[in-house]
Amino acid sequence: MPTYTDMSRCDGCGECVDICPSDIMHIDPVYRRSYNIEPNFCWECYSCVKACPQNAIDVRGYADFAPLGHKVRVLREPEKGVISWKIRYRDGRLKEFTFPIRTTPWGSIKAPSDYEQPDLSALGSPMLAHEPTALHIDALPTLQKKA
Amino acid sequence: MQVYIVLMTLAVVVGTLFDVVHKGSAKFFARRREKSEAAAQRRLSGGETVSLAIATIAEAAVSGEFCKWPRRISHLLMMYGFFLYLVTTVVMIFAYPAGAPTPTILPTLWTIGALMILVGGLWFFFFLRVNVAYDGASPFHLGRADLFIGFLLASIAFALLWHFVQTGYQSPTANRILFGIYILFTTLLFVSVPWSKFAHMFFKPAVAFQRRVEEANGSSDLPSPSTENTIVRS
Repeated sequence: MPTYTDMSRCDGCGECVDICPSDIMHIDPVYRRSYNIEPNFCWECYSCVKACPQNAIDVRGYADFAPLGHKVRVLREPEKGVISWKIRYRDGRLKEFTFPIRTTPWGSIKAPSDYEQPDLSALGSPMLAHEPTALHIDALPTLQKKA
Repeated sequence: MQVYIVLMTLAVVVGTLFDVVHKGSAKFFARRREKSEAAAQRRLSGGETVSLAIATIAEAAVSGEFCKWPRRISHLLMMYGFFLYLVTTVVMIFAYPAGAPTPTILPTLWTIGALMILVGGLWFFFFLRVNVAYDGASPFHLGRADLFIGFLLASIAFALLWHFVQTGYQSPTANRILFGIYILFTTLLFVSVPWSKFAHMFFKPAVAFQRRVEEANGSSDLPSPSTENTIVRS
């Protein structure tokens, strides 16, 4: 039984509805809070769990690989560029991990549409798209024949 | 009208208690508190608990729980408008009964409060409701979740209409009809507490406080906020 929303923590912002790739996070018509309308279709991708600003969504892992009594919680901090995980084993052991999301400021990477449209004559060049700039070098290395 | 105010206050208290018992909210919070205390890595002192409570109230006072500024602003308008409207109504009814001369500031503040609720509420109702903004529902959709906002907007709209008719037009019939509809929607607003989202104004601060306590005593199952910042390259 995959994602579920703690309705006492959810404030009905709609981020999970927006981000769910399976389109199964929707808004409850009585309480106007989010809920998983079709747990069978949940991929457990954790998109909604990570996107929720109130950390109101949790995942119940399938019992064949996630033992009862476990807990896996995630905290995404985009302003610091990190994502942290806290795993509680059913014997009470705790492990925490922190990983980088990115090392460059948000919005600093050029979108494909921000690049100049390439000239068709580039088709005859051995270089791939945006080379050598995208490789952060001045020129592609070449093999030099020994004299 | 003084009796009416007392009855409506009682309706809110009784309705909230009924809601708490019916939904088992008190048991839910109590069970959560027991789990938090059992898993706590350290005990909080009385002073720490009080400071967490003050921080919760301070966050609620600026609607800090909302991450998106349109929802935050509309909520602030509705919240402070409601406080202003409620306080001035109670003052006018209890301190200046019918026939007593009322200082102009009171009805002015009452009108400002009502207008704040109307602006914030209509903005929220037609543009910001999550089922409208994110789930494809029509802006005119009405469901049980809209009991509170619906009755609030209707009550305030008729309150303002009645006020403008009373002060601008000499029509006792229109005055009575509009006042009657205003009182009807106000009564519905306060007696529908067990079915509407009215009681959220008590539950949400309780949840926010409990979350702060869990983070402070180490029983939260969320990871601790990171001390690292990996965005180093510009």
